[in-house]
Amino acid sequence: MLQFIKEGLSGKNGQYFAIVTAVMLVAPLIFWKLDLPFAANAMLLCLMFSIMAMAWNLLEGYTGQLSFGHAVFFGVGAYTTMILMLYYGVTPWIGIFVGGLVAALVGLALGVPLFRLRSHWFALATIAVGEIFKLIFISWDYVGGSAGLQSPIVPEEQKLYYLQYAGSYVYIYLALGLLGLELLVMYPLVKSRIGYYLQAIREDEDAAMSLGINPFKYKMVAMFFSALFTGIGGGIYTVRFRFVDPFAVFDLISVSVYITIAGILGGIYSFVGPIVGSFVFVPISEYVRVYIVSRFPRFYGLHVFVLGVILLAISLLAPEGIMGWLEKKGYLKKREESGEVGEK
Amino acid sequence: MVGLDYVANAVVSGILIGSVYSLVGMGLALIWGIMDVINFAQGDYMMLGAFVTYWAFTLAGVDPLLSVPLSFLVTFALGVLTQRVVIERVLDAPMVSQITATFALLLMIRYGAEAAFGPYTKRIYVPYADVIFRFGTISLQLPRLVAFFVSLGVAVAFYVFLKTTYTGVALRAVSQNRMAAYLMGINVRKMYWIAFGIGVGISAVGGTLVATFLPIHPEMGGFYALIAFIVVVFGGFGSVFGAYISGIIIGVTESVSALFISPSLKDVVAFLLFIAIILVKPTGLFGTEQR
Repeated sequence: MLQFIKEGLSGKNGQYFAIVTAVMLVAPLIFWKLDLPFAANAMLLCLMFSIMAMAWNLLEGYTGQLSFGHAVFFGVGAYTTMILMLYYGVTPWIGIFVGGLVAALVGLALGVPLFRLRSHWFALATIAVGEIFKLIFISWDYVGGSAGLQSPIVPEEQKLYYLQYAGSYVYIYLALGLLGLELLVMYPLVKSRIGYYLQAIREDEDAAMSLGINPFKYKMVAMFFSALFTGIGGGIYTVRFRFVDPFAVFDLISVSVYITIAGILGGIYSFVGPIVGSFVFVPISEYVRVYIVSRFPRFYGLHVFVLGVILLAISLLAPEGIMGWLEKKGYLKKREESGEVGEK
Repeated sequence: MVGLDYVANAVVSGILIGSVYSLVGMGLALIWGIMDVINFAQGDYMMLGAFVTYWAFTLAGVDPLLSVPLSFLVTFALGVLTQRVVIERVLDAPMVSQITATFALLLMIRYGAEAAFGPYTKRIYVPYADVIFRFGTISLQLPRLVAFFVSLGVAVAFYVFLKTTYTGVALRAVSQNRMAAYLMGINVRKMYWIAFGIGVGISAVGGTLVATFLPIHPEMGGFYALIAFIVVVFGGFGSVFGAYISGIIIGVTESVSALFISPSLKDVVAFLLFIAIILVKPTGLFGTEQR
């Protein structure tokens, strides 16, 4: 495992990684000093969606299973963190990870029926599953029904335990740490034998099977890690926004499709693509939402329209995403597996 | 205990609303069957049809029933445009690009309409909206009854079109074997324009009919798209007539089950049914083996 990380950080990659990390660590301080709450919030959302888009991409980019249902894992993670904190007084420091684990278990349970479906059938079924979860949580009183749940209000000296800070500044470091953890887990995973099994399943499931790879088993492995980190993303949402309701966390458009667009925009055949995609896409969407739609409620829907335009543009002009496009133009060194970019 | 007359009423109203579901499902099935493309934005073209009717009624006082051809033609033109600008480019692209392209259309149409028309619910008040016929314990609202007959008429006209005209036969040929049809001198590209145009046009007629008796909203397409998917899955992919029958079955199932279970659980049942059908018999009730 360490050997993979060493390889990944060797040469130019390591320099880029160091520069980006340094910028990420300093940026929240600058935002805080200059009092830029919008920028800080956008950065937090970028990181949150980076975590989730990368997790989503383990299923889509590596395994070839297009999910429009990642809101399920996001919502389950968010609700678990909230319920542990609200009903049992468990600190989110633990709750976020428990949330991820519960989401991963839900993912495994869903994987059993869903992985019997292929290509667009899988995508359609994940949409249906997302809606089912939303409807169940709306009518489930224990989790607050359609009104949702709100974090407890805690005294000043407990704010570290309950992770309640003003603004987004502190949460950026939390999200950075969790993204770092995800990179530490995902990179060795996709570089290991399992990563190549997953890509074999994506390219041709029947051929992979004939070579002795059990597609179901490895899809379940991908599902586990994908749901795990998406659930962790949900935990970040809970601690930052202190309020979860089924309409927000199980939303098809503003969660599942957001994750999908971030992943596809960055490039699904690239390991860091979803992070790049999130950092390009989330600020645009947030800007339109906060500065145009909030000021002119009459134009509600414009921010989603912009998402549609972006998604259509990528689908038609650069289905390989930003990273794939950069590689094609020669601005980035080609990766060893880049031969399959743009193929079925 | 639910009385028998309630059930009879529910069956009748289910058939009437089901005939609208059928139209939306037929459009989806046509596009799916001919091009093997899933149009996620199907419900939103239907919404456009409903809004064409709304604006024609509000601005020019055109009766909703007279605007059926108008709404068909407007969405037909938009459909052909969509096919030329968007769908054609992703026909041979990977599955993910096809899905994301039509999903992008969904976002653009639904939320573009919301930004343009405002996030408000609108309603057409036709003078005959409150005319109600009673047959024993069964009561029928005139607009719903009219919607049923218009829908039936559209379905029959479409059937005749597919069976007797050159274009209809060519469309079926393209759906059976694109290459063979091409070799027989059929302009496949043009057939695809027509298929997408008619597919969204038929759904838009469904939107027009709905607008006569239900409130309309820019986001209404989401619900009808879901219904359309269930209809198509149930009726068998690409089977346009399976879609018509299954639309009515879904309508009846929906309104009868509404007597017994709460509305929110009703939708859960619908989604579970959807997943169960694609797990057990993805070719649907009337479908043939997939290519």
